[in-house]
Amino acid sequence: MAGPKGDERAWIRGAQAGNASDFEALFRAYWPSTYRAAYLVVHDAAAAEDIAQEAFLAAVRNLDRFDRRRPFGPWLHRIVVNRAIDWSRRRRLRGEVELHDAPVEQGDVGVGSDTVAAMQRLSPEHRAVIVLRHLLGYTPGQIAQLLDLPRGTVNSRLRRGLDELKEQL
Amino acid sequence: MRFDVPIPPGAAERAHRVAMAAFAERRPTPKRRSYWRPAIVIAVVAALAGILASPPGRSVIRSIREAVGVENAKQELFSLPAPGRLLVESPRGPWIVTADGSRRLLGDYREASWSPFGRFVAGARSNELVALDPEGGVRWTIARPGVRAPRWGGLHDDTRVAYLARDGLHVVAGDGTGDRLLAPGKQGPFAWRPGALAELLVAAPGGLRLEDTDSGRVLWHVATAPAQRIAWSADGGRVFVVTPRGLRVYDPTGRLVIRDAGPVRDATFVGAGHRIAVLRPDGAVVLLGATKPIFRAAGLRRVVSAPDGRRLLLTWPAADQWVFVRVAAPHTLDAVSGIARQFGGGRFPDVSGWVK
Repeated sequence: MAGPKGDERAWIRGAQAGNASDFEALFRAYWPSTYRAAYLVVHDAAAAEDIAQEAFLAAVRNLDRFDRRRPFGPWLHRIVVNRAIDWSRRRRLRGEVELHDAPVEQGDVGVGSDTVAAMQRLSPEHRAVIVLRHLLGYTPGQIAQLLDLPRGTVNSRLRRGLDELKEQL
Repeated sequence: MRFDVPIPPGAAERAHRVAMAAFAERRPTPKRRSYWRPAIVIAVVAALAGILASPPGRSVIRSIREAVGVENAKQELFSLPAPGRLLVESPRGPWIVTADGSRRLLGDYREASWSPFGRFVAGARSNELVALDPEGGVRWTIARPGVRAPRWGGLHDDTRVAYLARDGLHVVAGDGTGDRLLAPGKQGPFAWRPGALAELLVAAPGGLRLEDTDSGRVLWHVATAPAQRIAWSADGGRVFVVTPRGLRVYDPTGRLVIRDAGPVRDATFVGAGHRIAVLRPDGAVVLLGATKPIFRAAGLRRVVSAPDGRRLLLTWPAADQWVFVRVAAPHTLDAVSGIARQFGGGRFPDVSGWVK
């Protein structure tokens, strides 16, 4: 995660002014958590890479409009989690794993953790709140703001999601 | 709760490259003029000078430059990073770009394409097919209503030009004689088979047809979804067809060799070989059958291979850049910005071909 708030504000200020090293500092600080959050929602390494990348591109496009007094992380994580949920819903609607005759990169992710494997069986909406709460450390109130949901909905999704995880583990 | 999510090798670097390239292309919104501006400017300059002067600062800047070729795009196309000559289609007409970067505007023509060995160029202008030499000299012309999409094929000692006119697909000999209507009403894609005098692969209703245009004999026919693009390998040993259902590769007898169901924005054979580089609609550039993208950026339009197969040229209208990417790892980049300006301004130019 990002360093002290003062650093982050300086990076945002610098990036808004066009300073590439400040933007790079933001990228280095946030890309890993952004990728992991996307992966835990979509469970597809290539899609997670795309989604994390698109989130940063969206951040670049909207950098001028960003209120630098606010923290960068929630803004970026909101983008990535919402995109990941959208992607998962679309995939569910298509009822697919897309078939390419040529192999598509999947990477080595998705193994080595029972929790991660169990997450795959939850709905994207449940995954998203668990990721925001337990990977990224947001409070239920913050998650409600990030996802534009009532706080009660967040709490119930967290509870149900965790219950399901416990059953599976 | 602990989440064990390893990050795939190279993923961060790929994202870093793309994000930094996008950042480099971003133009910060001009701020309102401020009373404090001069002081801020001085402070920023001092800070930047400090950063530049410090060893860590120099190291950071150097690492960014090394990692992000596109950020360091050259302002002018000083030279091509591979041998050969490019044919570029601009609003002012076709240009020939030589390896040393010199550019020549051939004139007010459109949809130009190289002859098989790069000795001539076929172009179209209102109701006229024109054969040009590389200096822009007109060798011959033929007037037909609605001429477009001329393609030149054949051998060293004899060639043919196929083109579309309002009444269908025509074929004319390489000296401008013997023009005839080959396929009335035909308007879809077609491509000459290299290494043969007159074998033309034509998108026909419901499929593809390889036809000897001199004898009229159909050599083979296969059923496919409607073809959007057809391209032969340089040796004529493979041909790929892009359809809404993906990309298919055939051998010269019409046998299906590869079927790729992934979406395709553009594709090219790499050099003189049979490998195919595909640009996906999401901006990933991949070698067919390989697992990792060579490059990825939103808004890429075309992928064109250098004749030696060592570099791919990616055209990037949104960034007004050309990106030359090395095919073999490490996929180093050379980028050139201001492409539209360098080819006469206006619409971003297209690349028609890169020949030896």
